[in-house]
Amino acid sequence: MGKITRRKFLAGSAAGGAALMLTPAQKALAAGSFEGFPEGMGVLVDLTRCVGCRTCEAACNVEQKLPEPALPFDDTSVFDEIKHGQKRRTTDKAYTIVNRYEPEGADPIYRKIQCNHCNEPACLTSCFVNAYKKTPEGAVIYNEKVCVGCRNCMIACPFHIPAYTYHSVLNPVIKKCIFCYDTRLKEGRPPACVESCPQQVMTFGKRNDLMKIAHDRIKKNPGKYVNHVYGEKEVGGTGWFYLSNVPFEEAGFDTDLPNKPIIDNVKDFLAIVPMVLTIWPALFTGFHLLATKGKSHGHGDDHSHDEQEGHGK
Amino acid sequence: MKKLANYGVTPHDAALKSDGQKWSLMEKLLLGLTLDQYIGQVIRNKFNWILAVIFAIGIPVIIYRFIFSLGSVTHASYDYPWGLFLGFGLFCMVPLSASGFMLGTTVEIFGRHDFEPIERLALLNGLLGYFFAVVYLLVDLGQPWRLSYPMVYSFGPAAVLFLVGWHVATYLSVQVAEVSAAFFEWIGFQRGYDFIRKGTIGLTVSGIILSTLHQGALGALFLYAPGKVHPLWYSSAFQWMHFFVSSIPAGLCMVICVSTVVIYTMKWRCDQRFVDNLDWITIALAKGAAMGLSTYLIIKLVAIAHDNEWAYLMTGWGAWWLFEIIGFVVLPLVILSYAIRHKLVGLCRIGAFITVAGILLNRLNTALIAFNWKLYQEIPHQLEIIISITIFAIYVATYRFILNRLPILYQFKGQADK
Amino acid sequence: MVNAGKQLMVGLGVLLLSSVLAISCYAMDYPDEVEIDVLANLYEAVVFDHAMHVDLTEGCADCHHHTTGTPVLNEYCAKCHDGKEEMDWVSCQDCHSAGPVSAENLNNPKTDFIYHNDKPNLKAAYHLNCIGCHQEVGGPTGCEDCHAKTEAGDEFYRSGEFTPKKSADSSGH
Repeated sequence: MGKITRRKFLAGSAAGGAALMLTPAQKALAAGSFEGFPEGMGVLVDLTRCVGCRTCEAACNVEQKLPEPALPFDDTSVFDEIKHGQKRRTTDKAYTIVNRYEPEGADPIYRKIQCNHCNEPACLTSCFVNAYKKTPEGAVIYNEKVCVGCRNCMIACPFHIPAYTYHSVLNPVIKKCIFCYDTRLKEGRPPACVESCPQQVMTFGKRNDLMKIAHDRIKKNPGKYVNHVYGEKEVGGTGWFYLSNVPFEEAGFDTDLPNKPIIDNVKDFLAIVPMVLTIWPALFTGFHLLATKGKSHGHGDDHSHDEQEGHGK
Repeated sequence: MKKLANYGVTPHDAALKSDGQKWSLMEKLLLGLTLDQYIGQVIRNKFNWILAVIFAIGIPVIIYRFIFSLGSVTHASYDYPWGLFLGFGLFCMVPLSASGFMLGTTVEIFGRHDFEPIERLALLNGLLGYFFAVVYLLVDLGQPWRLSYPMVYSFGPAAVLFLVGWHVATYLSVQVAEVSAAFFEWIGFQRGYDFIRKGTIGLTVSGIILSTLHQGALGALFLYAPGKVHPLWYSSAFQWMHFFVSSIPAGLCMVICVSTVVIYTMKWRCDQRFVDNLDWITIALAKGAAMGLSTYLIIKLVAIAHDNEWAYLMTGWGAWWLFEIIGFVVLPLVILSYAIRHKLVGLCRIGAFITVAGILLNRLNTALIAFNWKLYQEIPHQLEIIISITIFAIYVATYRFILNRLPILYQFKGQADK
Repeated sequence: MVNAGKQLMVGLGVLLLSSVLAISCYAMDYPDEVEIDVLANLYEAVVFDHAMHVDLTEGCADCHHHTTGTPVLNEYCAKCHDGKEEMDWVSCQDCHSAGPVSAENLNNPKTDFIYHNDKPNLKAAYHLNCIGCHQEVGGPTGCEDCHAKTEAGDEFYRSGEFTPKKSADSSGH
């Protein structure tokens, strides 16, 4: 009896196990630390130069063929727009926006917001259809054709960047800045916003070179800048990074972000997945054999008679 | 339905009629009543009136959502990409459906066949909960027709959601297989029934594996948002354990709740075995739930200690967290312990309802309320609420429809005697 | 619609300052008025009152760094340049390239001067210099305070006759 049951059991668990093997046990083999492509391009954004003219917003609108804005791009009343107590953010109709902040005891400071093109993007690692891609040129792009619309990337992005075309019925997809990859970056040209800026708030170049320039600027202009390059280390490093003359939190930046990539938080969990897949079957087989040793092994139907055994009623 | 006897009919409860004839499918569907009798009792049931009102309002809204886009029934928020459909539909329905693997394990793996009277109810509870979690997901996805993409077309294996998707899909199949035993019995397909019973242990073990992983994975989904979920509800080391461990009392208490509703409203459908055993089973399930709750309470506190977040307890968010933990973990734990010790079934049931409410609160806190705690809180769109209620009503109606028919709460007479 | 960025670049081809700035040989021999129209595209050319700015500033080096043969004011420049000698190039565009910063430029720096590695392009050189000072001394800083918007500019910024017709509430989410 025991023999038969064991064979029966093994057959059953083998079938279950086979189904499980199809699931992604290899997940935990995700790469170690990735510091970005060596030749990847980036943009140094110097907030001290920005005067809030919104030319970059207009340039982005033209380049990406975005819908007509509600207000002209030279209308500065948008800086006073507040929704849910928040300043403007990127949307499916505006991949970049400029906000004004008023730090205490300092002149207003303007901050341009767009995708920061992380070295190890949270959006990419959270996407279950692998729609996102970090290109060797440094852009984080995505394939709209496979987007299912789960919006996990919007949850994952630490900078609140991806937006969604909620109002599309048949083809709602994620929308965000792609570093003008299709039209410019892959030909080695800077994105439209960078090129349009009258103040060269943004400097385009290889991320590694720009990082040196950023630190040079801090060194060459003692007292002008806060001694920090936002995006050098944040969430594993970003392709776009920032210099500021006021503490970054006063310019609306989230300064609580970890220095390790977002995916590092998830790796511990991913590591237990293959463990559970391999250990559980043996463990519970063992439990089953121990628990049912010497007892009847039949199922269901023929047990109605002994249903009340083993418990005080 | 209580007046069923008034019609002079016994409900369909055996493979053969009392006169030895087979039941036709139509008779089975109508529970052995004539069409007029069936419709008559449907209309007399007040609960059906409530359902009818909900469906009359809600189903057009669901259709509206598919014709006029997701943006027309939600706030189309970029900051709260996941609203009630996932916050309630996915994150609450799944833990409440952990009952399937819990009771499957108890009965099949640990050989506690004395729990069999409740096993099928627990399995069905699991299946329906998962199924409707997927229904909520389909309503929420921008392009539900692409749901199969992560399965067959474009793989993102580094994503936790990929794991959730695969496991929920696989587990749903496992649960369909498990519950199909009852279905095969009902339609009288003996060979199918035998086939499924042979694979029971394999199915049950897969169920445990898949459940451990995806209950945990639902928690791990929030590991992508370390800055967005309030630290009290976030723990990079323990998040998956919090979700997994809390799913144990959640699933067990959900079974207690459902069985409570069943015993008060559908007693005609329960056989003597179910009725007789329910009291001690309720207490036994409550024991399991109490164990789960105490473990859960401890690891919640460990997480606070691990990240040294005690200072947050002094804030408004801390008060809200304490409300959740004291009111919906400690309180039911105390109630359940007292009820178990004094064998008070009614009190166990009250404790179970509070536990279920606590799980709802915890999941809603993590997914919506304490999410974006640095930004702002958003009250879901009214149509979003209506859709969520409607789908839940469909869930309840489906649940009842199946319980009325399949041998879940009762055994086929022939089967029991065999 | 014509790509505004491209138009801008075409404009850069017309590398002509209408002034005689480039051939000025003596420190004190400067034009009274300069029409800066190299980059004119979205905005009209700027008519720059050079004489007035000469009166208002501390010295030529306020704007011209070390190239005019007058004392160098910027400490960083002064480390290498004593400013005693007038350079061959004095005009902004002599040093500040009008072309966009591109990956190619960065890979093949056209200058041998290693300390000039962070040099703004011509458009930025103008704006940073002018606006930077205007902010400090309270000069005009609005775009159209110095140059009027062209029709191309209106189209680009969706202003003037190109202002969106839709009501403001269409901003959506």
